[in-house]
Amino acid sequence: MAGPGDVAVTGLGLVTPGGIGVEAGWAAVLAGRSAAAHDPVLAKNPVSISCRVPGFDPEALLGGRRAHRLDRFVQLALVAAKEAVTDAGLDTAAWDGARVGVVIGSAGGGAETFEAQHRVLLEENPAWVSPLLLPMHLSNMAAGQVAMEFGARGPNMVVATACASGATAIGIARDLLARDRCDIVLAGGTEALLNPVTMAGFARMGALSKRDDPAAASRPFDIDRDGFVGAEGAAVLVLERLSDARAAGRRVRGRVLGYGATADAHHVTSPDPDGRGVRAAIDAALAEAGATTGDVVHVNAHGTSTPLNDLVEAQVLARVLPHRPLVTSTKGVTGHMMGAAGAAEAVFALLTMTHGVVPPTANTTMLDPRIDIDVALAATPVSQGLVLSNSFGFGGQNAVLALAAA
Amino acid sequence: MFETLKNILVDKLKVSPDQITMEASKEDVELDSLAVVELSLVLEKELGLKISDDELIEVETVGEIVALMTERSVTV
Repeated sequence: MAGPGDVAVTGLGLVTPGGIGVEAGWAAVLAGRSAAAHDPVLAKNPVSISCRVPGFDPEALLGGRRAHRLDRFVQLALVAAKEAVTDAGLDTAAWDGARVGVVIGSAGGGAETFEAQHRVLLEENPAWVSPLLLPMHLSNMAAGQVAMEFGARGPNMVVATACASGATAIGIARDLLARDRCDIVLAGGTEALLNPVTMAGFARMGALSKRDDPAAASRPFDIDRDGFVGAEGAAVLVLERLSDARAAGRRVRGRVLGYGATADAHHVTSPDPDGRGVRAAIDAALAEAGATTGDVVHVNAHGTSTPLNDLVEAQVLARVLPHRPLVTSTKGVTGHMMGAAGAAEAVFALLTMTHGVVPPTANTTMLDPRIDIDVALAATPVSQGLVLSNSFGFGGQNAVLALAAA
Repeated sequence: MFETLKNILVDKLKVSPDQITMEASKEDVELDSLAVVELSLVLEKELGLKISDDELIEVETVGEIVALMTERSVTV
């Protein structure tokens, strides 16, 4: 199997509701420990549970002055990027910054800052709105601030495909490397949309779980699932051409072999009931990887725990992968990190191959009888092969990554 | 007045306290074009002092900001 450009993942960075750092995040998903809790910020909301990153102290992690001028979605991205760059052993003082790109996915940018400043406008004085509002709120600041941190002067952008954004970013980064626009790309996703107005909007859509027990709310593919649990987080991967990574003697943590991107062109929030867009994205990712469906040993599903997503996704997987590779959704633990989810789950999918064990779909006890796929209900050993990481966004965007261990 | 400004810079703008002296330049205390607008706003909200961001862009040191604050608090 070889994808276009044969792209290596040489560094990983993760800030999730499972904890700060790759090790903490992986331990949490492997243990199947749900991160959901009642959220005091959302106390008056129709749904008041969320998954926050435990112990995230931006002043301690980034310095007080720096943290003060950044929205949380950028703070999360910077911490993840620092871990990824360190993990890759990159010397950012010595690299050719013009050949280093940054592609970050985010569905909503700095909504928390926007909401807070809108309150100043309405309740205090329009002239008192912070001059930092736009430098903190604009979505592209996630990539811009990562570039400033490391002197990455190549192509730089934030991409938005809602809850597929993190996977889209990795796909675009792969393309930049394959077309020789960059030698290194820091790619990932970040999201901090747990502000009251955004979460009230999700609740009013009927997208969120209404369960009283936070720890049981996110239960992908379960018969009693009733919506997702909102989460924050960030993930960044260092991507390089495999030949470059090997020549530089870097440790290869995994490979991006294929990427499929499609749109349902169907409905703003409901998936196409026939799953044609998802199927086409899987086919495209496999074709790029030079693989067949039989090569797939595991799927890290989008698996949001919403009634419709999980049903349609499972039906597509049952049709496309009749050999029943083991499927998991790490959202049972992390909740739904939205624009960060695709990148964080790509990291989890790679770690699944590295460690040879599929993490459980937490909280899921009885599968929906209409769902005819093998869902990992406990941590389960898996053989080496191709892993698919699925991500789908409101708006109908589908992004599928085909990944493998080094 | 220096202590008042220092407290504002530390508490509201999160500037590191050991950077703040009367002789420190705006660059030393990381007051760029956005931060002076923020400082102007905080001085008005917290102390009722009207010092425009244009005036703060013109000054070069912490000491000069303190002088402006002293002057305005007298006229008020």
